[in-house]
Amino acid sequence: MRIETAKKIYIFSPGLRIWHWVNFLTIITLFATGLYIGRAFFLGPTGVEATYAYGEGLTMGLIRKVHFIAGYVLLASFIFRLLIALFSKRDRLVLPTLWRRDYWVGLKEITLKYILLMRDDEGHEYIRNACARTVYPLVYLAILFMIITGFGMYGMSNPSGFWASLFGWIVWFLGGEFSTHMWHHWVAWLIIIFAVLHVYFVVREEAIKKNGELSSMFNGYKFFKGKPVDLEDIE
Amino acid sequence: METFWEAFKRHGVSRRDFIKFATTITGMMGLAPSMVPTVVRAMETKPRVPVIWIHGLECTCCSESFIRSATPLASDVVLSMISLEYDDTLSAAAGEPLEEHRKKIMKEYWGNYILAVEGNPPLGEDGMYCIVAGKPFLEHLKESAEGAKAIIAWGSCASWGCVQAAKPNPTTAVPVDKVITNKPIIKVPGCPPIAEVMTGVVMYMVLFDRIPPLDSQGRPKMFYGNRIHDTCYRRAFFNAGQFVERFDDDAARKGWCLYKMGCRGPTTYNQCGSIRWYNGLSYPIQAGHGCIGCAEKDFWDNGPFYERLTNIPVPKQEADADRVGAVAVATAVGGAIVHGVASKLRNSGKKEG
Ligand code: HEM
Ligand code: HEM
Ligand code: SF4
Ligand code: SF4
Repeated sequence: MRIETAKKIYIFSPGLRIWHWVNFLTIITLFATGLYIGRAFFLGPTGVEATYAYGEGLTMGLIRKVHFIAGYVLLASFIFRLLIALFSKRDRLVLPTLWRRDYWVGLKEITLKYILLMRDDEGHEYIRNACARTVYPLVYLAILFMIITGFGMYGMSNPSGFWASLFGWIVWFLGGEFSTHMWHHWVAWLIIIFAVLHVYFVVREEAIKKNGELSSMFNGYKFFKGKPVDLEDIE
Repeated sequence: METFWEAFKRHGVSRRDFIKFATTITGMMGLAPSMVPTVVRAMETKPRVPVIWIHGLECTCCSESFIRSATPLASDVVLSMISLEYDDTLSAAAGEPLEEHRKKIMKEYWGNYILAVEGNPPLGEDGMYCIVAGKPFLEHLKESAEGAKAIIAWGSCASWGCVQAAKPNPTTAVPVDKVITNKPIIKVPGCPPIAEVMTGVVMYMVLFDRIPPLDSQGRPKMFYGNRIHDTCYRRAFFNAGQFVERFDDDAARKGWCLYKMGCRGPTTYNQCGSIRWYNGLSYPIQAGHGCIGCAEKDFWDNGPFYERLTNIPVPKQEADADRVGAVAVATAVGGAIVHGVASKLRNSGKKEG
């Protein structure tokens, strides 16, 4: 029996971990409230005069307010995420490294692993596999898109106000306010589909390698057998 | 050209009525009361402006709307405020001499007349889908625009393309600003635009001798700055979550919000909620029907009008974003479970070799 020595490597900074969970909670809130905004599948208090209905439970007004508050939190946490990436190297792990050979080797290996032609303990070890490297930047872009379209629509209730001057252009770029609503709606679903697959691949990694993948977003550490190929990205 | 005040006097309007009129239109143009003296002075000194009004591919609903303007009366605008020199639809019986007159006016007031365009030019088959005075409207438009001071694009046709430009746009109809690029163009969208908005835009241009402040889309800010939804009198029902779910339900009788009936008020910029129609009598939502977004670009392609969300083209299915999304998420979850079990099996046991 061979004893494998596992190396414990510190990957995620506290800032990144806090950002990740704040981001997760706000997106879930935004999605739940957003779905209701797009399709009001239950009615508010119907026995009350509209003027007095505000204090009466789950009204459209309240749900929209929650959506907008969560929207502000999402924006704040996004800015925070950019700032930490500016100041610390390990928080820039998200940038794709398309120009490096190890990215393309990794992309081939991860594809073979995911279509089950290769075992997960074969090939090279990566801190961040090439698939994740490709998808995470797109997720950040999707979140940015939601922020721009969201605040664009939000701001147009005052077309010469702050938010409209900052993000109002997106409404016309996407061909009008209606299309902007639809794009906001479609990309909301894309983000949720990502979340489902993301959780699956995290759990899969954990279940197969038992490398601390799942807990890494809480305590910052993952375990490796040797020296990961892309170790230089965080050190 | 005579001034408005002179034209009013000629029609026997008293000074008192003249001042009242000036005060009313100041409000209609979205200006502060302090602007009344400026408006009065402008009306006393500014000459009437010659207008050439041409018609392309369209249904003439803009003209129909315009002649119903009550404040000011369309007749006042046409007879005393502008000098409507050419309108081929109104003067169809005049025939050939009318075309001569257009050319004469263009030459006489080169650089000073306003060109009002209703409808739009189809580009397909060299413009042969719309013929005016024996020539493609496309040429008619380009020729008339040559010496214009500014162009008013009446309605959604001239502004965005409207129904004739809806997919698949068989005649390649395009809005005016796709053809004329070297003149200031004021877009006054709507199918049709509200009468008082139309007269308001004309008055602003002739009284102040400049184009009204426009938004980034070329629409006058004072008339297209707000969404119907933000000025709608049913908004309280929206915020309370009190929605009509069928046109014959109790909620419809109570006048609740039409959001779930596909109302496009939340995505449409127009004055229907505040100026309303027929001298402020009513507007579609007040009459119990949702807005269809007629002042918005490509509103014909954003159907169905009675659904909140558009359809996504899925073969043999009526499907919107939520339906497609739910199926996709369910597929992802199912796929993950299957893939997970397979992965576990693939990786079971020792590494070979
Ligand atoms: C809306 C939901 C979620 C979004 C948008 C999201 C987004 C992200 C992003 C962008 C990263 C990369 C961070 C970086 O390095 O810049 C990440 C990493 C991670 N997330 Fe999530 N996440 C979501 C939900 C979750 C959930 C529910 C879990 C827990 C099961 C989770 C666990 C992880 C883990 C373990 C990592 C590190 C994985 C790695 O190194 O490749 N995430 N997530
Ligand atoms: C990942 C983040 C987000 C998700 C998943 C999300 C989801 C949604 C969904 C599904 C809708 C309904 C769209 C429709 O059919 O009209 C919606 C509407 C909206 N969202 Fe978001 N949203 C997000 C971020 C934001 C942000 C950051 C803001 C900025 C304040 C925002 C502002 C809005 C506004 C103004 C509406 C339209 C509300 C209305 O029409 O009454 N959203 N959102
Ligand atoms: S009826 Fe239409 S415009 Fe009026 S509040 Fe409801 S959704 Fe908005
Ligand atoms: S309510 Fe909407 S569809 Fe009706 S006239 Fe106004 S903008 Fe056009």
